[in-house]
Amino acid sequence: MERACISARQLFMLAILFEHGSAMVIPLGVDAKQDVWLAILCGMVLGGGLLFVYYRLFTYYPRLPLTSYSQRIVGSFFGRVLGIIYVLYFLYIAARVLRDFGELLLTFAYPETPLFILNAVMMLTVMYAVYKGIEVIARASQLFFFSLYWILILGFVLIIIAGAVDLHRLQPILEEGWGPIFHVVFTQTLYVPFGEMIVFTMIFPYLQKQEKVMKAGFLALLLSGINLAMIMGMNVAVLGADMVSRSTFPLLNTIQEIRVANFLERLDVLFMIALIVGGFFKVVVFFYAGVIGAADLFQIKEYQRLVYPLGISVLFLSIAIASNFAEHIKEGLQIVTIYMHIPLQIVIPVLLLLIAMLRQGKRGRKPQGAREQRTP
Amino acid sequence: MKIKRYPFLIFMLFICTLLFGCWSKKELRDLALIIAVGIDKKDGKYMSTFQVVNPGNVAGATQRGGGSTGLPVALYTSTGDTLVEASRKASKQISRIPYYSHTNLVVIGEELAKEGIQQIFDAVERNPQFRPTANIVIARKQTAKQLLSVLTPIDKIPANQMIKTLELTEMMWGENVDTRLREVIESFSLAGKEVIMSSFYVDGNRKHSDDQNNVRTMEPTARLRAAELAIFKKGKLIGWIGKEEARGVLWILDKIKQTAVTVDWKEEKEAVSYKVVRAKTKVTAQLRNGKPIIFVAVKTEGDIGETFVAIDFTDPKQIVALEKVMQQEIKAEIEKAAHVAQKKKSDIFGFGEVVHRAYPKEWKEMKKTWDDKYFPKLDVQVKVESFIRRTGLRTRSYIQ
Repeated sequence: MERACISARQLFMLAILFEHGSAMVIPLGVDAKQDVWLAILCGMVLGGGLLFVYYRLFTYYPRLPLTSYSQRIVGSFFGRVLGIIYVLYFLYIAARVLRDFGELLLTFAYPETPLFILNAVMMLTVMYAVYKGIEVIARASQLFFFSLYWILILGFVLIIIAGAVDLHRLQPILEEGWGPIFHVVFTQTLYVPFGEMIVFTMIFPYLQKQEKVMKAGFLALLLSGINLAMIMGMNVAVLGADMVSRSTFPLLNTIQEIRVANFLERLDVLFMIALIVGGFFKVVVFFYAGVIGAADLFQIKEYQRLVYPLGISVLFLSIAIASNFAEHIKEGLQIVTIYMHIPLQIVIPVLLLLIAMLRQGKRGRKPQGAREQRTP
Repeated sequence: MKIKRYPFLIFMLFICTLLFGCWSKKELRDLALIIAVGIDKKDGKYMSTFQVVNPGNVAGATQRGGGSTGLPVALYTSTGDTLVEASRKASKQISRIPYYSHTNLVVIGEELAKEGIQQIFDAVERNPQFRPTANIVIARKQTAKQLLSVLTPIDKIPANQMIKTLELTEMMWGENVDTRLREVIESFSLAGKEVIMSSFYVDGNRKHSDDQNNVRTMEPTARLRAAELAIFKKGKLIGWIGKEEARGVLWILDKIKQTAVTVDWKEEKEAVSYKVVRAKTKVTAQLRNGKPIIFVAVKTEGDIGETFVAIDFTDPKQIVALEKVMQQEIKAEIEKAAHVAQKKKSDIFGFGEVVHRAYPKEWKEMKKTWDDKYFPKLDVQVKVESFIRRTGLRTRSYIQ
C-alpha cells in the first residue's frame, strides 16, 4: 500500500465514473428486451447486498486491502493464494476493459488503426496515472466527474428536445414475466458493473474518514444504477428493443438520433468523450488494484516499480485474450461470469466474511486489533 | 551533461505517440461527400447512384445566383452484387473516397421496392459513417437514378431540395411523410407495424433534366414533385395511397402538424377551409370477446382560413355547427385510409403494436395471423374533436 489518503467525496466520484465506465456504452443486459432498465435496477439492488459484504469485511480490517486481510482471515498460505488470484483477476479484467475500449474505438472511429496502437496509447496514460498514485487518480476523477455528468445531462436534454423519445417502446412491461429479467440479472447486470465494486476493497483503506465509506459507496452505487437504468431505458425508448439488442453500442445510435433545428446533429463526439473517460477510469481502477495488490503480497515498498512490467503485461494480454470481437464478448458474458465473477465477487467474499465473523466472535469482537498489527 | 539528455530523448519519443491519432486521417479534399444514394436493381445486380457534392460550386452558385462555373453536384453510377461492392467499385470513376457521413437521402427505385428492400439496409446499418436519420424516399414510376439526375433551381443540391420539400409538405399539408432510415429498419423487426414512405417523381420533360439549362428557365422543364405514399408489406412495395387517404394515414400516425381541411356548407360544395394549427392523435386498443378494437381519438385546433359562403362567425352556434362538419370530414378521411390499408392487408398504422403493448399475452397468439385474419377485419372506431379557435382578421365575410 502506498501512503495516501482520499476523501469520501473523491471516492464517491471515482466509484461513479468506474460504474459508468464501459457499462454505459455496451449493450448491457439487453436480453431483457424492453425491460432492460428493470434488470439493471434489480442488479443494482442485489449489487448493494454484495457491496454490504465488502463493506463489512472492510469494517473488520479498516486499514488493510483485500490481499492483506485475506491472509488474516484464512491464514498466511491460503490468504496469499487468494491474494494472488485476486491480483490476477484485477489485471485480467483491466485487460478486458482495455480490449473493450480498443474494440469500440476501432469499430466506430478508427477503422484503419491497429488495435495494438489504440490500446497502447490508452495503457500509457493509465500507467502514468497509476504511477502517480491514488491521490492523483482521485483528483482526476473529480475533474472528469463533472464533464461526464455535463455530457449526460446535455445528451439527455437534447434527445428529448429532438423528439426521438417514444415511451411506448418501453411497453409492454414484463412481457415475458420476471423470469428473463432475473436470468439477465444473475448472468450479467449483477456482476458488471455492480459486483465489480469488489475492486474497491483495495481502495477503501485509503479513505480519510473511514466511517464515510458506507455513505459514499452506497450513494455511488445507487446513483450509477439509476443513471445506467435511465440510459438503457432511453436507448430502448429511442431505438426500440430489437435495435438495441442488435447494436454494438446502443448509446452511439441514440446520440446519432439527435437532430435539433437542422444544425445540432452528429454529436457523436459526446459519445466518444463518455467512452474514453469511462474506459480510462475503469482500466485505471482495476490496474491500480492489481498493482497495489501485487506490491502488498510480495512486500515491495515502492509499488511504482511494478507499474511498467504489469502494465505491459496487461497491454499484451488485452491483445491476446481473443482473436475477434465476437469471441471477446462471448468470453466476457459466459466464461468470465461463471469462472471468475461468481466465485470471486460472491462466493469468496461471503465465505471470508463468515470466517471473519466467526474469528472475531471468538476473540470477543475486537476489530481494532487488526489496526495495530499493520506493518507500514 | 550527457545523462541529462536521456530524459529529453525519451520525451521526444513519447511525443511521437501523439501521431497515432492521425492514423485514420482523411483530408477534406480527398473525400467525395455523398449527399444522396440511389439504389436500383439491374440484371440482378444492385446499381448504386451517388450524388456527390462539388463544394466549390455550391458556394459559388449561391453567390452568383446562376451557377455559371459548374454544377453543384455530380452523379456517378456503379453496379455490384452487394451495395458494399458497388460502393467500392465506384472508385473506378470517382477520384475521391466515398464518404457517407453527410448522406441525408436514400432513394429507392420503384422496381426494386416491388422486389423487396429488406436486404439493402444491412450495409447501411453496419456502416459507422451512415446516419440513421437519413430520409428515405421511393422513385415513383422511374429508377432512382432518373430521380437523382434532376437539377433544381432554388436549393442547388437536388437531394436537399427533396428533403426540404418533404419536411415542408409534411408540416404544411400532411399527405407525405418524412420517413427516416431507422424507422424503416425498426419496422422490419416488429410484427405489428409496416412501413410507409413518400415517393417522388420527375414532373415534366425528363429528357434534359440533368442539363444546366433545366435551371436556367423560369419554370424548369423537369421538376421534382412529391407523390403518393408507398405501402409496404414485409419489405415489399404492394401499393400506393394518395390524396385524402394519405392524409388519413398521417392523422392516425399522429404526424399531422398543420393542414387545411375544406368542407361543404349547406348546399355549397367545398366552401369553407379550416386551417389546422395543432393536432394530436391517440390510438388505443381494447379486447372485446377476444377481438381487438382500435380507438383513434383525434383532437385538432385551428382557424378559419377562407370561406365562399356567408357564415356569421360571430355566432358561436354557427362555429359549433361548422366544427361538427369538420369532424365528419376528418373522420371520413381517416376511415378511408384505414379501409385502404385493410384491403391491402398491410398494417401501416402500427395497430398491431398498439395491441401488443396493451395485451402482450393475447398478442402472442394474434401476431401469427395478424395480417391476414385480424387486421383486415379490425374494428376501427374514430372519434374526432375539432375546435375552431379564431376566424382570422375578419368575422363576417364580404360575400353575401
